[in-house]
Amino acid sequence: MKITVILRLEPVLTEELELTNDARDVDREWIGLDMNQFDDQALEQAILIKEQTGAEVVAIAIEDEGTDRMLKTALARGADTARLIPMDEYDVESRSSRAMAPIYAMAIRELEPDMVLVGVLSNADIYGELAPYLAAHLGWPQASAISQVTLGTGQVTLRQEYAGGRSARLALQLPAIAGLQTAAQPPRYVAGSKLRDLLKVQIPELNIEAVPGADLAEATTLALPDMSGAAEMIDGDAQEIANAIHALLEEKGFV
Amino acid sequence: MQTLLLWIVTLATLVVFAWRFGTRLQPLFSARPVNRLDRPGERFSGMLGDIGLHRRMLRFTYSGVLHAMIFSSFLVLFTAIIESFGSVLFPGFTLAPVGGETWIAILQETFALLILVGLGMAAYQRLIRKPARFEGSRKGDAILIYVLATGIVASMLLEFASAIAITGTPNPYRPVSSLLAALLGQVGVDGHAAETLHMSFYWAHVLIILGFLAYIPGSKHRHMFLAAPNIFLRPLHPKGQLPAVPTLEDEKTPSGIQSFSDFTWKDLLDPLTCTECGRCQSVCPAYAAGTPLSPKKLIMDLRDGMSTGEAHLPIVGGVISEDVLWSCTTCRACMEVCPVHIEHVPKIVEMRRTMVEAGTLEPMLQDALTSFQSQGNSFGKPAKQRARWIKGLSFKPVDARNQPVDVLWFVGDFASFDARAQELTRMVAELLHQAGVDFGILYDGERNSGNDVRRAGDEGLFELLAQQNIDTLAGCEFNRIMTTDPHSLNALKSEYPALGADYDVVHYSELLLDLISAGKLTPKQGAAAQVTYHDPCYLGRYNGGFDAPRDLIAALGHDLREMPRNRKNSFCCGAGGGRIWMDDSAFHERPSENRIKEALALGDVSYFVVSCPKDVVMYTAAIQNLGVEDRISVRDLAELVTESLE
Amino acid sequence: MGILVQIEHVDGQVADGAHELLAMARSLGGTVEALVCAKDATTVAAIADELDADTVVAVADAVLADYVPAAYLTCLAQAMEDRAPDLVLLSYSTAGIDLAGGVALKSGREMVCYATAIERDGAVLTVKSQVYSGKLTASTTLPLPGIVVVMPGAIKAPERAGGSAPVEELVVDLSVSQSIRHVENLLPDSDGIDLTKAERIVCVGRALGGTDKLPLAEALAVKLGAEIAGSRPVIDAGWLPRARQVGKSGTKVKPKLYLMAGVSGAPEHLEGMQDSDLIIALNSDEQAPIFRKAHYGAVCDMFEVLPALTEKLG
Ligand SMILES: Cc1cc2nc3c(=O)[nH]c(=O)nc-3n(C[C@H](O)[C@H](O)[C@H](O)COP(=O)(O)OP(=O)(O)OC[C@H]3O[C@@H](n4cnc5c(N)ncnc54)[C@H](O)[C@@H]3O)c2cc1C
Ligand code: SF4
Ligand code: SF4
Repeated sequence: MKITVILRLEPVLTEELELTNDARDVDREWIGLDMNQFDDQALEQAILIKEQTGAEVVAIAIEDEGTDRMLKTALARGADTARLIPMDEYDVESRSSRAMAPIYAMAIRELEPDMVLVGVLSNADIYGELAPYLAAHLGWPQASAISQVTLGTGQVTLRQEYAGGRSARLALQLPAIAGLQTAAQPPRYVAGSKLRDLLKVQIPELNIEAVPGADLAEATTLALPDMSGAAEMIDGDAQEIANAIHALLEEKGFV
Repeated sequence: MQTLLLWIVTLATLVVFAWRFGTRLQPLFSARPVNRLDRPGERFSGMLGDIGLHRRMLRFTYSGVLHAMIFSSFLVLFTAIIESFGSVLFPGFTLAPVGGETWIAILQETFALLILVGLGMAAYQRLIRKPARFEGSRKGDAILIYVLATGIVASMLLEFASAIAITGTPNPYRPVSSLLAALLGQVGVDGHAAETLHMSFYWAHVLIILGFLAYIPGSKHRHMFLAAPNIFLRPLHPKGQLPAVPTLEDEKTPSGIQSFSDFTWKDLLDPLTCTECGRCQSVCPAYAAGTPLSPKKLIMDLRDGMSTGEAHLPIVGGVISEDVLWSCTTCRACMEVCPVHIEHVPKIVEMRRTMVEAGTLEPMLQDALTSFQSQGNSFGKPAKQRARWIKGLSFKPVDARNQPVDVLWFVGDFASFDARAQELTRMVAELLHQAGVDFGILYDGERNSGNDVRRAGDEGLFELLAQQNIDTLAGCEFNRIMTTDPHSLNALKSEYPALGADYDVVHYSELLLDLISAGKLTPKQGAAAQVTYHDPCYLGRYNGGFDAPRDLIAALGHDLREMPRNRKNSFCCGAGGGRIWMDDSAFHERPSENRIKEALALGDVSYFVVSCPKDVVMYTAAIQNLGVEDRISVRDLAELVTESLE
Repeated sequence: MGILVQIEHVDGQVADGAHELLAMARSLGGTVEALVCAKDATTVAAIADELDADTVVAVADAVLADYVPAAYLTCLAQAMEDRAPDLVLLSYSTAGIDLAGGVALKSGREMVCYATAIERDGAVLTVKSQVYSGKLTASTTLPLPGIVVVMPGAIKAPERAGGSAPVEELVVDLSVSQSIRHVENLLPDSDGIDLTKAERIVCVGRALGGTDKLPLAEALAVKLGAEIAGSRPVIDAGWLPRARQVGKSGTKVKPKLYLMAGVSGAPEHLEGMQDSDLIIALNSDEQAPIFRKAHYGAVCDMFEVLPALTEKLG
């Protein structure tokens, strides 16, 4: 049994975002990239399956600033192999899910896994999610918003989450794709010693001949959100804020 | 007959003693190696100082004095023991030719009284004064020892007394015994009765001594034998340098602490030496804050786990619970105060490493360490934003990676990313600029120094971070490194040399002082305030930086009032050793608040002066929490200097 | 302009999001067709009754009794082929995620997700959407035919418009999409509480950091007579039981008071609580998106304000 996990880097959102002059992208000058948190869950789930069933886990990523480190983290966490798909930053207009899907799809054809796990969504673009795109490219069954994965022979059982806390179990024929929302356990910590041991390891490349898909990046402009209609802000230190909220609750009749 | 009997009981006791001691020392022989025999001269003289002069003991005056009384008496009374055993084991042996019945006798008499006073003081302390540091020590053991020791001395005096009573002539060299003999005479003990009594007291004396000897290997009084070697074998490497993970030659990855044999032998000698005196506990900020950690208990638990059948328990998370291990701020106060030089911090860190390798981390710590792995800082901020604090400066600092500088400023995480600390960082930058210092920074080339990452137990991550910094620094030209952050200072100055990188590292307190002395910055005089100063653990206790901040405060014309816990005895703010990334709700009273109360108790100080960016944040929060903003406020050294220039 | 709307329902109960899509379709003008997939004609009819559409395109098949991604995908793809709508609208829901990308690729249409508004200027649509967890908004010119996935709550559905749209049956061969089988439905495991009934809720976010500080929030909840709730990370970490999760994959609530601390305000969370009458948000980041949805906000450390407020409440 072979599982491929797709790992993507995404801007770290803890800081103020600034836009490029043409407002087509966030200004990368000050922005750092980190692993998509849902991909992190997918990776953890893959490792958990490996631990239970002995499946082989291959982590793949498309080259970007920091991909090497991310793939090494995957190895340290327990992935059997990692493959880097080379990509020159000047060659691609957009790295949206839709644009990159053909490349990942070709990589998957090459790797021939039984199961593909990828994070349910990525925050960084507006052109839809990767898992369903891959399914369409490959003609494989797919389900997203998954919180449980049980790999059997010839099929996989997934728990799919819906609104209102409902969920259902679905059985998919293999090979299949799952868009992971939550792994059965929170992502584990890997001690720095494991990363250090991997310092000199060269991540092998996976060369893919595929043309990126088209999206509407050219027709999109970004903006900082309109803050009008936003909350009325209460200023002051902790005590003053507490007092103000108390007064507000009183005024609205809650106390 | 007597001789044979004494030979039999003495040899039997020695066998018991050796066996009891041996089983306890057994684990040391399968433990990991560590070299503690280098620099023997320094080791020896230090040991003499600590034992002969009771240097560390006397920091606690009452206990120090009473221990000195008992200890010195013991040395003197040892002559009596030699005489007692020698005279019977080897008939004809006597100390009389060297003065056994003259000057030695009078010394014995005097010190017998002294030791009784000492034992009385000890019992009073243990039973009536009951200082909190004895909390958790074994009282029964201590009392049994007092009883035995008193028994030895009493039986000795009575033996001497009954000997005098046989003849009825007082011995001028034995005034105490003579007095006792007179008393015996009054109750009609003389002649033959006195002879019988003498025999009985003699046997009581030697039997109590032998009993004491047989008992000792299982008692904290083992330290009679182990204190000296333990002090001799103390660590001599820089205080700020944690020992690396001990790995055996044929071992690829360290196993962590799975069994006692994964410790070094010195780590196992320490617990056997512990006197349960609780000095460490009394200075421990984590203990004071109500966390489950007591450094004394930790050492005692290791000792008990080592010698009793707790082998079935895991050591990390069993013998020592995880909470205990995460509670330590690595402030080193315990190690500084321990009279027998026990090394608590390296053991705690070694056990933390075991947890980190196993991936069982405090959740908030896990977030922070993950962020170090991906961004090189604990703030979860993009590495690229490290130098964002320079926005708003009146000039652009030189990028030391592109241009040689005199002073390379290693800014540090807190100073770079924390909003409050950033203001001070800018202040320092302006001061240096104003004084014409040729300095530069590493911009996004800098990583966290790894000091606290290492102490949180992630050795590999420390090495990664350190190596990145060392590589970056290798590409720069500079004369010395300056930092405002004592934690970075410790790493650069004490830790990196072990990785082959040696720098001249100064704290900004030293640099600012130099600039003032050289007239590059001229403070206005007159604006004197009453201030107190907090020694950061990693500047003071770890790296001896006690004077520069004080001199700087004085140079600015302020009046420094010391808190009771100052310099070596400074009290940790609670943020060290990775604690700053962990949940502090386990602290019933935050160490920082405890410290502010100490400053307030001085009465009339208006500034609480600090010299560490973390302290600015810790103490500002503490003052807010206590609601005493109107009475005292935090001032960083840089702020004081800036204020005095305006 | 022809608009095809994917209708989601649970056992015949139409999802709020579906009504919102219809309302949005109406606001754009043109003919509105609703695609209903259900297990039988009766269910279809019952659903159709509730929809404000011009036509109801229905697939009735026992396979569709429960949501099965492959079967639904086949239906939608075929409906799009048959009806050739200019615009297809789906909700940003589990099904929306599953289906949109697939049909977009199959039909070669452009697609925009996380839409909060669609503006029409003749044949040109401008879609406003959220990106970067709501930290930025994107404005996209969408060429038609296109697909838009709309955020729940983007538009308010009118009170039960109802409808009498003719039902046109669509015959779909579902034997080709058996790669996914529905096994069973799982009900939310609850500890007996029902957040939807709560009038007051105190919600904590990931900033809680662990259960150690939970008592700070619980004490306030007790004082206010409120239920305690959490964002998803809080539930995932096991700090609170699953029944206490608010948001897209949790419970959707509309209390009179929603006091939240340490929640950033990700769209998935907002979806579950944005209709609350009074929203007060505490967050240490002044840029936190929650301040755009909350009625009142304070930039602060929740661990200071929560106890202070509890104390103030006496
Ligand atoms: C398919 C899907 C379904 C989902 N369903 C849900 C759902 O049902 N419910 C849900 O909540 N999420 C859901 N999510 C997850 C959602 O995307 C966010 O990840 C989540 O809501 C974030 O939770 P949070 O705000 O608690 O954490 P964060 O986004 O990490 O926010 C923590 C906030 O706390 C603030 N903070 C930090 N320290 C303090 C302090 N001391 N005082 C005050 N504030 C502080 C920070 O500034 C930050 O804004 C779903 C995601 C997907 C993909
Ligand atoms: S280093 Fe400090 S906190 Fe840790 S045990 Fe010693 S005294 Fe306590
Ligand atoms: S470790 Fe040292 S200071 Fe602490 S109780 Fe033992 S001997 Fe005393």
